[in-house]
Amino acid sequence: MKKVSIIGSGNVGVNSAFFIAEMAAAQVTLFDIKEGISEGKALDLMEAAPIRCYRTGIEGSSDITSIAGSQAVVIAAGLIRTPGHDRGEHFRENAAIVGEICGRIVSLAPEAVVIVATEPVDAMVKVVLDATGFHRRRVMGIGGLLDCTRMAHFVSDELNVSPRDVSAMVMGSHTRLMVPVPEYTRVNGIPISQLMSEETVARIVSATREAGSVILDLAQRANAYYAPSSAIAQVVEAVCVDTHKVLSLSVMLDGEYGVGQVPLSVPCRVGAAGVEEILEVELDEEVLKAFRDSAEPVRRWL
Amino acid sequence: VRKVSIIGAGHVGATCTYYIAEKNIADIVMIDVVEGMPQAKGMDFSQAAPLRRYGVKILGSNDYADVAGSDVVVITAGIPRKPGMDRMDLLRTNADIVGTAAARVAEYAPNSTLIVVSNPLDIMCTVALEASGFALKRVMGMAGILDSTRFRYFVAEKMGVAVTDVHAMVLGGHGDTMVPLPRFTTVAGFPITKLLSPGEVEALSDRTRNGGAEIVRHLKTGSAFYAPAASTAEMVEAVLTNEKRLVPAAAYLRGEYGHEGVFLGVPILLGKNGVEKIIELDLTAEEKTMLDKSAEAVRKGIESLRSL
Repeated sequence: MKKVSIIGSGNVGVNSAFFIAEMAAAQVTLFDIKEGISEGKALDLMEAAPIRCYRTGIEGSSDITSIAGSQAVVIAAGLIRTPGHDRGEHFRENAAIVGEICGRIVSLAPEAVVIVATEPVDAMVKVVLDATGFHRRRVMGIGGLLDCTRMAHFVSDELNVSPRDVSAMVMGSHTRLMVPVPEYTRVNGIPISQLMSEETVARIVSATREAGSVILDLAQRANAYYAPSSAIAQVVEAVCVDTHKVLSLSVMLDGEYGVGQVPLSVPCRVGAAGVEEILEVELDEEVLKAFRDSAEPVRRWL
Repeated sequence: VRKVSIIGAGHVGATCTYYIAEKNIADIVMIDVVEGMPQAKGMDFSQAAPLRRYGVKILGSNDYADVAGSDVVVITAGIPRKPGMDRMDLLRTNADIVGTAAARVAEYAPNSTLIVVSNPLDIMCTVALEASGFALKRVMGMAGILDSTRFRYFVAEKMGVAVTDVHAMVLGGHGDTMVPLPRFTTVAGFPITKLLSPGEVEALSDRTRNGGAEIVRHLKTGSAFYAPAASTAEMVEAVLTNEKRLVPAAAYLRGEYGHEGVFLGVPILLGKNGVEKIIELDLTAEEKTMLDKSAEAVRKGIESLRSL
C-alpha cells in the first residue's frame, strides 16, 4: 500500500483523507502546522474504520517529517480568498506558504508526485515546479477535474440520468474563463447536443463556470470541499494504484495545444509516475481559442 | 425488501446472483428445473454472506411459486451456444424454454419487470413478451450493455487507459449484425475516432462483434458468463434502485429508428418503470443501414420461429 501525505488538515484535506480511505487507495498522513488538528481528525476517522471497514490507516501529525517516504503529496494548505481580498495579494500569500512546504517535500519525499489543490491552482502548479525543481510530469493541479465533475453533475441532473453514465470535459484555467467542451461531454458516448437543446447546453456551461462561487454564496463564505476532495482522491488513486486514468489536470504545458510556459488543465493519463501522457485531441477553432485565452489570468498572477 | 428472481441457475444465472448479492440491494431467488442444484447454490451463496457482508436472502428452488412478489425477473434459462453453432440454431429449443418460463413468471409475479438474457436474444424477447402478456416497457433484453462492456475493455486495453474512462455504444441485434458506434465510443469523452486510426477502430469493432464467439472458441464446451452476468446485474440494479441509466438494451420498437414490432438494441432510459424512454440518436446513413440490416435479421428470426 502506497503512502499519501496531505498538507493542510482543513476541510479539503480531511475530506480527501476520508474519500481516500473509503476507496482504500492509500495510507494517509495528515499534516498541519496547527498542533492537534491533524491528530484529532485522524483519530476521528480511524474510530469510524471498524464500521466503514477501512483497509488503510490514517495518521495525523504536526511534525512535517511524518511525510517522509510518501509516493504522493497533496498540497491543500493556504488561505481561502475572502470577498474584497485582492486576487494578486491572495496569490502571493499562498505562494509563500506553498513555496515553504515545497522545500520540505524535496528533502523528505524527493520521489513524490505532487497534487496541488491550493488556489489559484494553475499558478500554484508553477510555484511548486519552481520551488521543487520536479519534472512537470510529477506536479499537477486539480482544477479541470473539479470542473468536470461539476459539469457531469449538471448534465446528470438535467437529463435525470445516472451520473455513472456521464463523462464531462472541461479544460483550460480554473477561473471563470475555464473551457467546458460540450462536444466531448457525453452520456455513455452520446454527445449531450443529441440529448438536449442548445440553450440547455449553454445553461450547463454557465452553471459550471459559476459552480464554485454559487457554493461560496450559499454556504455563507465557506468554500466548497466535497467535490474538490473527491477530485483529489481520484488523482491520489490514479497515482497510488497506478490506474492510468485519463483526468483533466493542470500541468505545465510545453507546446501542447499551442501553449507553452503556463499550467492549464488538459486531459492527462495518470499513473504511478504522475502524468504519463497528455492527450492532444482535435478541438474546434473556437474552443482552442477559448482554451488559449483562459491562460490570461494565470499569466497575470505569475 | 426488494426481490429479484433468476430463472436458470446455470453459469450466467448463478454468477448474476453473485453480482447482485454483492450489491446488497435485493433478496434473490434462483429457479431451475434441475432438482437440488439451485437449492445447493442458494445455500452456498448464503454461507458466504458473513464474509462477503451481504444481508440479503438467497434461495434456490424448483418451484415457480417462490418467484411471487418479485420486482424484477431475469430469464437466463436455455441451452448455451456450442462451438460452430449459430445463435439461430438455438431458436427452437430456447423458444420453448423461455416461453414456458415467461408464462409461469406472469402467473406468479404479474407486476414484475422481465429482463431476458437467453439467446438468440432479440427473438427471445418477443417470445417472452407474448408468453407473459406484459406491457411493452416491462420486457427487455440484455445485450447492448454486454457488447458495450466488451468494446470498452478492448479500447481500454488497446490504449492503456483505465476501463472506467471508456464508454461505448453498441446498437442493433445481439449477433453478427450488431452495430458498434465508434463515434459514440469515448475515452474521457473523446471519441476513439479521434484517438485511433480507422484501421484500429475497425479492428476493435470487429473484435466486439465477435466477442462472444471468441470466448466460445477458447472454451470449446461453453460460453461466456462473467461479462453477461455483470451486464445483467447492472440492469437489475438500475430497475430496483430506479437509477435512470442511459444504456443500450433490446427494447420493443414502435416506429423508433423506422422499425415496428421488433426488439432491437437501442439506447434506453432504464428505471423502476422498465424501459422509460427510447433515445433516438442522429445516425449517419451508414450507421442507419447497419441498424436496418440488424433489424431485418431479427425480423427473419421471428418469421422462422413462427414457421416452426
